[in-house]
Amino acid sequence: MASEPATTVELELSEEQRLVEEAQQGNLDAMRPILERYASPLYGTVILPRLGDAVSAEDVLRDTLATAVEKIRRFTWQGKSIYPWLRQIAINKVYDVHRQSKRSRRLADAMVHEIAVESDPASHADAQLIADQERRAHRGKIDQTLQQLQDRYRLAIELRLVQELSREDCANRLGVTIGTFDVLLFRAVRAFRKHFGERAELPGKEPT
Amino acid sequence: MATQDDDLLTGPVADPETEPTPAELAHARRFAELVDKTLSGRTPPAMSADDRALLEVATVIRATHGSLELAPGKQRSVVEDALRQAIGASPASSGSVAPIARARARRWAPWAVAGGATLVAAAAVAMLWLRAPGGGELRSARRAAVPEEWTSRPADALVGPIARDHAGDASARLDTIFADRLDGFRSLRLARGGKP
Repeated sequence: MASEPATTVELELSEEQRLVEEAQQGNLDAMRPILERYASPLYGTVILPRLGDAVSAEDVLRDTLATAVEKIRRFTWQGKSIYPWLRQIAINKVYDVHRQSKRSRRLADAMVHEIAVESDPASHADAQLIADQERRAHRGKIDQTLQQLQDRYRLAIELRLVQELSREDCANRLGVTIGTFDVLLFRAVRAFRKHFGERAELPGKEPT
Repeated sequence: MATQDDDLLTGPVADPETEPTPAELAHARRFAELVDKTLSGRTPPAMSADDRALLEVATVIRATHGSLELAPGKQRSVVEDALRQAIGASPASSGSVAPIARARARRWAPWAVAGGATLVAAAAVAMLWLRAPGGGELRSARRAAVPEEWTSRPADALVGPIARDHAGDASARLDTIFADRLDGFRSLRLARGGKP
């Protein structure tokens, strides 16, 4: 019986496996396509939402990718994408950053909690599934906190930080001066942080 | 004791309708300008700890709503730096990335050279230590093989005890010693047929 043609995803996975094996045999350049493919989801859904600082997030991403290259020989191919392994390295790096930070960062502490991600073992699209699931989980936390804010505070955050309207446009939409809008946004972000921090103290800490 | 940061980050937040104090107004304006710069990708490197904490909130909100992506150019740069960092090279250096084995060899090369040099030095010291007694015996044997007048020797036998009233005759004693040594030199020279 003729075998079924391989799907595009399967081909991508087999290509990923080939690149990993090549890297494990000593060809460092083989890791480049894998790193380029997963750098963006690692940054946008794993590292930055847990750190809240773009510069630190880039540093952590760089360290994550470097560690992955250094330890590629320890990775065991299990028929799934390498992305979950990279993601775990990134989360560990984020923990390191938080441990090194002396001051209280309750918002970042809240986001650093491991978000349980379960992908279909039979699926080969692990990376995309996990990234989407993680993005939805983060967004759910944020939206839940936004709902606890007073309407004008929530609106200020949505207009300025989500829709990224200018201060002038935001002020016009709310019918206030720019100075008043600045105060609204300032208080809104403080209130958000306070509510989010209180919520973060409820779940248990991620084991390190 | 509560600090200003504690008040700002964990203290109560006024209602939207509450009139701001001049201090809050100034702080709000400063924060708004920080947000402006961050939205345009020009986050200032230096700011107060509480401003940074609040700015992190803004960044997290933006990140979770998909507003923040890694620019393609930045992504390439980070990947390239990571590959170079993994092999221990400088991010600023150019050229293609070396295979892992060669890179590791390059990283360990200075340690290997230092270790090798230490081993060689230790071997030299050990050799000197072990050969020292044998060398002394050899030197004694060679000394015994030449006539006594050819070797360096004390002049006590020539000069003898110096009496107090002859203490000023040092030049005469030197002449005696010189004559004796010259005699030994001539014997040695003549023994070789006049060749040095």
